[in-house]
Amino acid sequence: MTVQLQAPASEQTRARYPDSSGYVERAGVNLYYEVYGEGEPTVFLLPTWSIIHSRHWKMQIPYLARHCRVVTFDGRGNGRSDRPMGAEAYAIREFALDALAVLDATATERTIVVGVSCAALWGVLLAAEHPERVAGAAFISPAVGLAPPLPERAVYSFDEPLGTDEGWAKYNIHHWLRDYRDFLEFFMGKCFTEPHSTKQIEDSIAWALETTSETLADHDAGIALPTGVQFTDLCARVRCPVLVMHGDEDAIRPHAQGVALAEATRGEFVTLEGAGHLPQARDPVKVNLLLRDFVAPPPPTRWVRGKSRRKRALYISSPIGLGHAQRDAAIADELRKLHPDLEIDWLAQHPVTKVLEARGERIHPGSALLANESTHIESECAEHDLNCFQAIRRMDEILLANFMVFHDLVRDEQYDLWIGDEAWELDYYLHENPEQKQAAYVWLTDFVGWLPMSDGGEREAFLTTDYNAEMIEHIARFPRIRDRALYVGNADDIVPDAFGPDLPQIRDWTEEHYDLTGYVTGFDPSAFSDREALRAELGYAADEQVCIVTVGGSGVGAHLLHRVIDAFPEAKERVPALRMIVVAGPRIDPVTLPQAEGLEIRRYVHDLYRHLAACDLAVVQGGLTTSMELTANRRPFVYFPLDHHFEQNFHVRHRLERYGAGRRMDYATSTPETIAEAIAEEIGREVDYRPVETDGAARAAALIAELL
Amino acid sequence: MTVELQAPASEQTRARYPDSSGYVERDCVNLYYEVYGSGETTVFLLPTWSIIHSRHWKMQIPYLARHCRVVTFDGRGNGRSDRPPKGAYDEREFAADALAVMDATETERAVLVSLSLGAQRGLIMAAEHPERIGGAVFICPSVPLGEPVADRQLYAWNEELDTDEGWAKYNRYYWLRDYRGFLEFFFSQMFTEPHSTKPIEDCIGWGLETTAETLVATQLREWMDEDTARDLCRRVQCPVLVIQGSEDAITGPGRGIALAEETGGELVLLEGSGHGPHVRDPVKVNLLLREFIIARQQEIYDAFLEKRQ
Repeated sequence: MTVQLQAPASEQTRARYPDSSGYVERAGVNLYYEVYGEGEPTVFLLPTWSIIHSRHWKMQIPYLARHCRVVTFDGRGNGRSDRPMGAEAYAIREFALDALAVLDATATERTIVVGVSCAALWGVLLAAEHPERVAGAAFISPAVGLAPPLPERAVYSFDEPLGTDEGWAKYNIHHWLRDYRDFLEFFMGKCFTEPHSTKQIEDSIAWALETTSETLADHDAGIALPTGVQFTDLCARVRCPVLVMHGDEDAIRPHAQGVALAEATRGEFVTLEGAGHLPQARDPVKVNLLLRDFVAPPPPTRWVRGKSRRKRALYISSPIGLGHAQRDAAIADELRKLHPDLEIDWLAQHPVTKVLEARGERIHPGSALLANESTHIESECAEHDLNCFQAIRRMDEILLANFMVFHDLVRDEQYDLWIGDEAWELDYYLHENPEQKQAAYVWLTDFVGWLPMSDGGEREAFLTTDYNAEMIEHIARFPRIRDRALYVGNADDIVPDAFGPDLPQIRDWTEEHYDLTGYVTGFDPSAFSDREALRAELGYAADEQVCIVTVGGSGVGAHLLHRVIDAFPEAKERVPALRMIVVAGPRIDPVTLPQAEGLEIRRYVHDLYRHLAACDLAVVQGGLTTSMELTANRRPFVYFPLDHHFEQNFHVRHRLERYGAGRRMDYATSTPETIAEAIAEEIGREVDYRPVETDGAARAAALIAELL
Repeated sequence: MTVELQAPASEQTRARYPDSSGYVERDCVNLYYEVYGSGETTVFLLPTWSIIHSRHWKMQIPYLARHCRVVTFDGRGNGRSDRPPKGAYDEREFAADALAVMDATETERAVLVSLSLGAQRGLIMAAEHPERIGGAVFICPSVPLGEPVADRQLYAWNEELDTDEGWAKYNRYYWLRDYRGFLEFFFSQMFTEPHSTKPIEDCIGWGLETTAETLVATQLREWMDEDTARDLCRRVQCPVLVIQGSEDAITGPGRGIALAEETGGELVLLEGSGHGPHVRDPVKVNLLLREFIIARQQEIYDAFLEKRQ
């Protein structure tokens, strides 16, 4: 099936922003540059053909900038740099001079240049003619004339009108002017010959749409202008160390061109088997590690002999919202019962760290290097509306940056076990780079399968199917990666859907590939069997009707809090004994919420689940953790799934319906009046929920403990 | 249960035999060397105290020789090299021997790897012959820098003692009385890691290839003092890597840490390792050596070209 991929509307959250940026003007052309990090050496990420701009380095910058200084700039013709007219403006030498101007503007005396595709043309020129400034050069998929082009590309004329626009006939000025976007879809499809490259293709199309076919045509003609020196002579003059990497499935420039460039410059050559033209985007882990080894090899570190090692686990807890801090801590406690000598470090970020710190858990200092995922998710959210599939998809740069943090950490420190609770970056990149698995690995999740929202149409269905297919292929090809896959729930909790057309049923596949732990609440509800004592302890009087309003740990629930606060006066009228407590949570500032007579607003409440156990009603978002805490404590609650949030609308809803728990409401159609009415009807109601098991954490821990 | 460990009867089958070997005579002392593999970079595995000979590099040679050229030789006093009388075992003699082996094997330039006492000759070579030394790795270096090992009791070496318990065995008269008893004690201290019977037996076997008298002769010499060591460190220009066991009971980790500091080199602390990690943790040490040598290849080559011009 061919579905038109779309260009994302605006730049997604970066994993790292430049420490400084600016413009330098050279020969009347403004060039936009960015500088990241500090120290020696400086890595200079060169522009390539201006069909894309400097964002194509997004997977490299956050990682490299942790180890050295990084400078990049948008080549003339795209991004925030000017788009001069005419072929002469795009001659190879112009790009080399631009690069020198950026080096001067950023006070960079000497640098290691890194370039993709035709960046090799100006990269070699710089290395040959300015040896005092270029200490090393790495070329990815170089587009150089040292070996013949792909035969299929040598068929059609670029300038002549053609009788066809099939295949490489699209690489033709008349077709570009007719249907630039069609050309881009074709070309980017060729750039990424690897399956499951939808995100990379869409990103590249979007960057290409920031310039025009006229500019690209000028650029193409400019590259063809003579430089006054033979390229082979330039190669022979290169004295610095050179690294060339080239995919053998490159459908834009043949692998032989990379081989020839390495030979001509006496450089090292790495073949990336199965890789296409832009491996820095599609296989970023491998490319990052190759670049790091070339640019600034990691210093050796201390090593502990196997027999001298303490038993250690690294727990990577999903950082979106408060996520699973409670259940992960409960599993950790059970695990320590089975292995009292086990040390557990946590790789986590705010707000999960808040819960862990309160429990005295050891947060690994590397956690401070993680790019924050919650901030990104919040930035993707509209009014009580979060397409969480797209939001996670638009987090590829952050996920990779965080995987590289994990990689650095486990390279230097030896752990026996990695536990990833919905640690997407870990699971995905381990399957993409299976040689990186060095410890026993446990994957936990409470939902399986990306599901499309109905109004996402054919495109979203295509994308979720593609993501599911990639995951299924990953597991089938590398069953050794996950030593345990734990589904936090029971078989009936699994949605009755398929992964997509021609893909298995989610339930069948999950039962086959997972161990089921039952639900893990992270607490024992029997501890609250004396509710009166608990209420007294928490300061809730027997004659009060306590309603707690919470959106968990995420910052995306402010609109719901506002609307429930709006319903408070009427609810109070209907339920005179009503005491409403709004918990802002760790990521919403309580002063931004409206005040109302008699309404209590609290910042963060530690062990909120105890308050939920004591309340008479809760009004919540559709997240699994909070709603299941209420279900386990048998409290009535009203929940509002976030619009376009497939997990809340399908997975969580399905599970709550199975438990007979909660009253679902739709945020878009709910008014303060209908909310007040629901509060009045639900508060204090006796419930007949299906009971929630209390041994989930112990069951999960027992399965994990076998690996130690 | 204490069971006496034995020295192997004869040399066991090697994983790799030298591509060439020979003797070079210097000052009437014959030195036996071996050359393995080929390539631009030569790794030179230096002799250590002559209580053992070049076979102690047996875990490194087959691996390194697949990636570069390897040269090693038996230090005077053991192996197939001569055993000159006392007075012939100063550090400078060993350094001069090493240079003679480099000449004989046409090794213009090399990366040095040394163990323990071999560090002193390595330092002299790196400081005084920078044009020939592209890098230096020191494993558990024995140098007069930093803190000595904490719980090694000090006894006079050159006096008759009324005890031969523990480190009192490190004594000229005890050696002559019970050489084997000394070797057993010494190598049990060299390998503090549990389950080290094979390395201990190997070393005893190599130790028995020389004599107590020769070992005594190796000790009757000028010892390098701290100022000299520090001065040599300052003159070392090449990249340096120090690999040091945290449980080193012979020289203690303080020596290695200080050497890394004085030379500005990199330090890798091997937690739980004793004084012979290249034997007891050969995988890790081999990988560290390979990384060091490969990472430095360009640097070494550049420096070489520069010196040549």
